[in-house]
Amino acid sequence: MATELAYAPPMKAGKEGFQGTQEVQHRIRITLSSKSVKNLEKVCADLVKGAKDKSLKVKGPVRMPTKVLNITTRKSPCGEGTNTWDRFEMRVHKRVIDLVSSPDVVKQITSITIEPGVEVEVTISDQ
Amino acid sequence: MAGEAAARGRKARNFATFRLFPRDGAAGPDDRVFVRVDNNAYTIPGFGDDHDQDPSLSPTAAADQFPSSTSGPLPDHVRQQILELGLPDDGYNYLLHLRELRPAAAASSFVPSHTTRPEPLPLDVKAYDASKVRVASGKAEEELDEGRTMCKVAAKTAPVRRVGKAIDPDVARLLDESDDEGLEEDFVIMANQAEGDEVDDEEEEEGGGVFSDVEDDEEFEDAEDEPRQRVPRLLDEQFDLLALEEYGDSDDDDGGVRDGEHELPNEVIDELKLFHNQNVCNDEGYRTPGDFVRRKLDTTTAEEVDESANVIQKCAEYAEKYLNDPAQDEEVVLVSESSDESEVWDCESIVSTYSNLDNHPGKIQAPRNPRNLLPKVFPGETATTKDIIKLHGKEKLPVDYLPQRKRKSEKEKKPKPAEAEPEAPDTEYFKKVVQKETKDEKKARKSAVKEEKREARKAKKELKELYKFETQKAQKVAAVTGPSSIRLK
Repeated sequence: MATELAYAPPMKAGKEGFQGTQEVQHRIRITLSSKSVKNLEKVCADLVKGAKDKSLKVKGPVRMPTKVLNITTRKSPCGEGTNTWDRFEMRVHKRVIDLVSSPDVVKQITSITIEPGVEVEVTISDQ
Repeated sequence: MAGEAAARGRKARNFATFRLFPRDGAAGPDDRVFVRVDNNAYTIPGFGDDHDQDPSLSPTAAADQFPSSTSGPLPDHVRQQILELGLPDDGYNYLLHLRELRPAAAASSFVPSHTTRPEPLPLDVKAYDASKVRVASGKAEEELDEGRTMCKVAAKTAPVRRVGKAIDPDVARLLDESDDEGLEEDFVIMANQAEGDEVDDEEEEEGGGVFSDVEDDEEFEDAEDEPRQRVPRLLDEQFDLLALEEYGDSDDDDGGVRDGEHELPNEVIDELKLFHNQNVCNDEGYRTPGDFVRRKLDTTTAEEVDESANVIQKCAEYAEKYLNDPAQDEEVVLVSESSDESEVWDCESIVSTYSNLDNHPGKIQAPRNPRNLLPKVFPGETATTKDIIKLHGKEKLPVDYLPQRKRKSEKEKKPKPAEAEPEAPDTEYFKKVVQKETKDEKKARKSAVKEEKREARKAKKELKELYKFETQKAQKVAAVTGPSSIRLK
C-alpha cells in the first residue's frame, strides 16, 4: 500500500499527456469583485470570451453570494427629535472563473480591458 | 509530500496569488501590474515581477537582489552601471534604489538636461582641476589635467586641453549678479531701504497729506459754489416767494437782512461810523438827523447838520442801489389748479403715462420660489439629492415648495413688495408726529399696544393647540417615508 502511494496517480491520456506548447499548465482561478454589477458582468464576459478564443478549458463565471454591508445610524447629530434612522448599504459582488493554462496566456487575457472599480485576483496552482 | 504536510496539520500551500494593481505613476487605467499577495514558497517564474526592466538588470537582479553583507565586491557590470549613473563606487549596490521611469511619469517629472558635457573620461579615471597648482622646481606631472597657463611646464611636454568648468559659466554669472528683489525677504529689502530712504519717505507722506487736504478743500469749495452758479429755476423763484410770504411778514425790522447777500456795503458802514463818532447819543430824548435839519434841537456845529443830512440822503441812495428788492423782479406765476373732475384718472390715461423706456411690461405670473437660483449639486459630488424633497422644521413641511411668506421663508432674502396691511387705528398713534403727549394719551397708546400683543399671543396658542395633533402625524409620516436604504457606490 505504501509503495502504491509512492507512484504518481495515473494520468489521463490525451490533453494532459503533453504540456501545451512546452509551457507548464497550471490551474488558474480568477476572482473578480466589484461594487457595480454592470461593470463586473462585462469584465467577466470579456475574460470568458478571451479564454475561449484561446481554446482554454474555462469554468465559470461562478457567482458568489453578494455581500451586503449595512450601517444604520441616527440621522440627528444630537439626541433630540423624532428617532429617525439612516440605513446605508454597500453591495459587493464576486465572480470566479477557473482556467487551465499557462501563466503567460493568463497575463495576456487579463491585460485587456478592465473596467474601473473591478478588482482582479489571480491564483495560480499546480495542475 | 502531501502526507508530510498533512501530518504537520497544514494543507499544502502550493499556489500563488497575484492581484492586479495600477502601476506606480500609472499612465492610465490600463497600466497595471500583477503583485504577489500571499507568502507561500511556491514560485511561478513567468509571473509577478516586471518583465520590462533593463535587460542588463534582470539577469543580475535575481542574483544580486539581496547580496549578503559578507559577499565580495560587486560584480563588474553592476559597478559599471553605478559609475555610469554618477554614483560613488563604494561597494554599495545603489541600483537597488532605482525606479523605472514610466512614459507618462517621465513627461511630467523628469526633464533631461541639454547642456553639453565634456568628453567623458574612462570609468576608472577621476579628474581634478589642477590648473592653479604651482609646479615646484620644474617637475611636471603628466597626469595633471591642464587648463590655465600656470602649468606651463606641462604645456611644454604634452598638449594642453581645456577642461570645462563644473558649473556653467552663464549660470554662475547669473547667480552672482542677481540681486533680484523678488527673491529676497521682505525684511531684508525694508532694512536696506530704510536706512537711505527713511527721511524721504516721511517727507513724501507728509507732502501727500498736505496736498490731499488742499485738494479736499478745493473740492469742498467747488461743491459750495455750485448751487450759486446754477441757473435759477422757476422752482427757486417760487421758493423765494414762499419764503418771503412765510417769513417776510413777521419780521419787518429785518426785512433787508437775508443770507448775507444784503450785507451793508463798506461805504455805508463808514458813514454810519462817522455818524456814531459825532456823539449824537443824547440821554434826554430820542434824536434823529432830521431834527438837526429842522433845527428842532441844538446843534453843536454846522458840520454835524450837514453830515446828518448827508447820511439820510446817502442811506436812501444806497438802499436803492444795493438792496435787491425782489418786489420789483416779481413775476406773477399762474399755477393752474386742476379741478376735481380731471383728478380722477382712468386706466387708459394712467397706462399711457408709463413709457416703455422705464417700464418693461411682462406677463403676470404667480410668484415662484427661487429654488433654481443656486446649483445644489457641486462639482465632484457623486450623490445628488436634488430629487428628494426635504422636510424641515417641527411640522415637517417642504420648505422649498411653500408659497412665499413674509416671515416664514428661509431662503427669500430680497425685500418683498410691501403688502397693503390694513392699518389698525392704534398704529396711528406711533406714526403721528408727537409734539406734546399728555400722560393719558401715552397711557392709552401703550395699553393699546399691550392689548394687541395679548390678542396675538392668544391667537397663536389657539392655532398651535388645534394643529398639535397634525404636527405629530406629520413627523411620524416623515420618519417612516423615504428610501429604506441609501445605496453607497
